[in-house]
Amino acid sequence: MADVHQEGSGSGADFDLSQFYQIFFEEAGENLDQMEQMLLNLNLETADDEELNGIFRCAHSIKGGAATFGFSDVAELTHKMESLLDKLRRHELQPTSEMVDVLLESADASRALLACHQSGTVGQGPATGALVQRIRSFVEGGTPSPNVAVPAVAAPAAAVVASVQPVQATVSTPEAAPTGSASGVARQLLIRLSKLDHAAQADAIAELFRDIPGLGEIKPVVAPDVASDERVFEVQTSSSNDDLLDLFAFHVSREQVSIQEVTPVDAGAPASAGATVAVEPAAYGFFDGAPGAPQPHTAGPATTVRPADVVKGSVAKAANAGAVQPEAATIRVAISKVDQLINLVGELVITQAMLAQNSRALDPAVYQQLLTGLSDLDRNTRDLQESVMSIRMIPMSVVFSRFPRMLRDLANKLGKKVEFVTQGEATELDKGLVEKITDPLTHLVRNSCDHGIELPADRIKAGKPEAGTITLSAAHQGGSIVIEVRDDGKGMSREKILAKARERGMDVSDQLTDSEVWQLIFAPGFSTAEVVTDVSGRGVGMDVVKRNITALNGTVDIESAEGYGMCVSVRLPLTLAIMDGMSVGVGNEVYILPLSSVVESFQVRSDAVSTVGQDSQLVKVRDEFMPVIELEKVFQVPRFDTDKTSDMMVVIEADGSRVVLLVDELLGQQQVVVKNLESNYRKVPNVSGATILGDGKVALILDTGALVRRSRH
Amino acid sequence: MKDSEKPANEKGDADIAVSEYLTFRLGQEEYGIDILKVQEIRGYESPTRIANVPAFIKGVINLRGTIVPIVDMRLKFNCPKVDYDAFTVVIILNLQHRIVGIVVDSVSDVMSLGSGQMRAAPDIDSIIDADSIVGLGSLEDRMLILLDIEKLMSSPDMGLVTAAG
Repeated sequence: MADVHQEGSGSGADFDLSQFYQIFFEEAGENLDQMEQMLLNLNLETADDEELNGIFRCAHSIKGGAATFGFSDVAELTHKMESLLDKLRRHELQPTSEMVDVLLESADASRALLACHQSGTVGQGPATGALVQRIRSFVEGGTPSPNVAVPAVAAPAAAVVASVQPVQATVSTPEAAPTGSASGVARQLLIRLSKLDHAAQADAIAELFRDIPGLGEIKPVVAPDVASDERVFEVQTSSSNDDLLDLFAFHVSREQVSIQEVTPVDAGAPASAGATVAVEPAAYGFFDGAPGAPQPHTAGPATTVRPADVVKGSVAKAANAGAVQPEAATIRVAISKVDQLINLVGELVITQAMLAQNSRALDPAVYQQLLTGLSDLDRNTRDLQESVMSIRMIPMSVVFSRFPRMLRDLANKLGKKVEFVTQGEATELDKGLVEKITDPLTHLVRNSCDHGIELPADRIKAGKPEAGTITLSAAHQGGSIVIEVRDDGKGMSREKILAKARERGMDVSDQLTDSEVWQLIFAPGFSTAEVVTDVSGRGVGMDVVKRNITALNGTVDIESAEGYGMCVSVRLPLTLAIMDGMSVGVGNEVYILPLSSVVESFQVRSDAVSTVGQDSQLVKVRDEFMPVIELEKVFQVPRFDTDKTSDMMVVIEADGSRVVLLVDELLGQQQVVVKNLESNYRKVPNVSGATILGDGKVALILDTGALVRRSRH
Repeated sequence: MKDSEKPANEKGDADIAVSEYLTFRLGQEEYGIDILKVQEIRGYESPTRIANVPAFIKGVINLRGTIVPIVDMRLKFNCPKVDYDAFTVVIILNLQHRIVGIVVDSVSDVMSLGSGQMRAAPDIDSIIDADSIVGLGSLEDRMLILLDIEKLMSSPDMGLVTAAG
């Protein structure tokens, strides 16, 4: 018990950024796993759009998250992957097994990079330059030209690390031997380029090192034995020889390059280095950067033995598993398990209430021990219930606080000025929902910043303040949670969207209503952005947003006014949101009103009620006439006690208007767990959900929004 | 399940599949439903009424934290006598997408029926949609009406699901 409390208060106080890192790492890990799985299952000849879109979305999500947290290396690599995948899913390229190899390796590299970020050992991750180059060659090459084909074909052979690659015992040249196993550790190399046609080729190599961050340093060496068609460089790099050769292949052919290891000081221990490596197969290649994995002193000659059948994923996992990482502080548990726990505790509370009820008549003198036990049970169940409930509920601020940093970076990158405003951060939301809503919200906020907000100059020209405002708000509304992303940017252009839709071959007419037009942007691949940036513009965002939200039984609505901004509102049903409710009695039945919509309640005086058309009732509250809704009639409550009538009035407010509900009595206020009626039944008019009362009975929660709308008609 | 029943239903000769059925009584009639659809059997407790629904939908109950609608099959099938007493039971069905409770007069037992004991249902004009009747089980002098409870519960006139569209 004590642990639970400590845990609770501790996590409450520690709202530092690393908490959100953790969420990102977990998500990215899942996305990578999923991508890997899909890539492996991909049928090259008959790859269908759904699969390719799925892989693409994974890469896109990782990129989005990585950019948000400023992990630029991961973002860059995934951006490249995304470019390739984008071409594939547009059928501009035909997927080949080489591409899948590159993508898988990139996924591994991303994983390793993420592991480095997670453990805080930035800079020790694998060099991604080679991968980036190879992907670029696919993207640009379309059909690989002979020049490009070298790295492409070499890819499987070079497949460094963890690919399912037996040792090539025949490759016994000293240069090739430490292949792969050496990457990740900075090495001193002497690279000799011979038989050059002209010196510029060598300069191009030197430029490579400048252009690719993290590749290493290069220094030309002027040696007496260098021939006129030769160049020698001294290189400090963490990339493997094969990676380097792949890179160089753009400029010089493989035969022209010879790489020599400059023996560092610790070369005296090749035997021990070899032994380490043999024991720890997980230490190979890209994962050397992973924390906890031993750093092999790979300077020694080829005493290493490559394990023949190591499958990529397991290597990565082995490296991670061996690591001592802070992630032990949290565990990921299936939501269904937590749900089950919550339900069981609910049952326990009800049983406990029943016991308490039955024991009240007992003589305390005789049953003292039993009664003490029961009161302990009472306290413990209540504590237990609180703890269990708190597992799932987290405030929206956890999500919202991810954005300021992201927006700041993004705005800087785009040269825009953006103010970020959040509202309703305290709105508590189910953990499951929070996790699923984060990605779509990230897309929406990025979209707002990238497409919505104009450049400062344009804003001033349009008579708007220089800095744009993006507002993120959350609120409970009519039994749903509504999250809005609002910006005061340029809004959407109806004409542009229609034109783009026609360009894409969609069948659209000019007669579509505005809201129908806005819905078009949810089509996969739809984007009106002229330039594809690494921020957005590929048209993947809205597609993902819509899909994710629909999966949560939610809806997305867009309002937009060209020149004035737009507002995307995401409406989610309450699956397990806790709500402050007011219970009211009508006849023998109990209904729950969301406390947030209750304005006031009062005993009615008969002279205050007047009728319109003999039927509709109005009541005068202070100076305002408000329509009266009799719950007894709306819900056809059977009346056994004919003398009693409803004489309590509750003023509720929803959707900006007020109505008065006529009820029998007010029973009290309590926190209720909102249960979905629709999971086993269907939507019931005027009811937003149900809850379970202390005695185990079900009570319906009124949909105040619907009741208010009802009075309007 | 449905696939394995179909050939038996149509041919009625070879003993292909033996299925187990939970049998229950509604008035004088005896019905059988696939035992695998049954989650549990409990006593009747008065549910929370829902306004503006057909009379056979009694309301919803709390089944260990899950809100479960309760359908009174006796009202649905127009049984003349509908009592709620100590013997009235609720069969909780675990269907494909939802959990539903049905009220019946009593639960009899679990029967294994080979396809030899199953007869195709003749065309009859009944309140039960013919599609929802898998067949008739004949056991000596008893007749079991075998229901496709999944289909019956998801039919639109049951009102348990929001009509499509």
